[in-house]
Amino acid sequence: MLVGKKAPEFEIEAYDPVKDDFTTVKLSDYKGKFLVLLFYPADFTFV
Amino acid sequence: MYDKIKELGADVLAVSTDTKFVHEAFVKQEPLMRNVKFLLGSDPTGKMCKAYDMYMEEAGLARRGMYLIDPEGIVVSMEASEPPVGKSTAELLRKLEAWKYVTEHEGEACPANWEPGKKTLKPGPRLVSKVGEFVNEKELLEITYKDFRLG
Repeated sequence: MLVGKKAPEFEIEAYDPVKDDFTTVKLSDYKGKFLVLLFYPADFTFV
Repeated sequence: MYDKIKELGADVLAVSTDTKFVHEAFVKQEPLMRNVKFLLGSDPTGKMCKAYDMYMEEAGLARRGMYLIDPEGIVVSMEASEPPVGKSTAELLRKLEAWKYVTEHEGEACPANWEPGKKTLKPGPRLVSKVGEFVNEKELLEITYKDFRLG
């Protein structure tokens, strides 16, 4: 259970729909603001 | 939705076990994804999903869920579910607004079903067994999501 703890660091590849380009994103990119971190099973699955 | 989240000084990152190439195709092919402006993160090995306990081992896919991480990098809220029921955008926005409020107003708390404009509480000895004198039952039970209706 991670609630109340430091969020685990991550560094992953991502697609940026605004720039229409690929990028790398990590937890520290969001330091100083709230981050809504969503997880979902798969693209094209309609929920 | 995303504009409202940005207004609250927050950002969104959506992660699945798809590759970045599939994310690109998804955004370009699916009309409902046309207006998405936040990053779609790719975790094909499931390493990040596992670190966040959001990995469905048998399916090899990310679980449906959400973490709210505060400006200091601390997890303040989370939810997780089986795949076939989606999240509530209104509830997400309400939570974010409440977390932003308590972060900016130390010592205050947002009671059940709090929405902007409703009373907050200052937990302390004066409040023990007297919450009802500060917030009435109707206010505690009613939720309108009026500030969070989209579309």
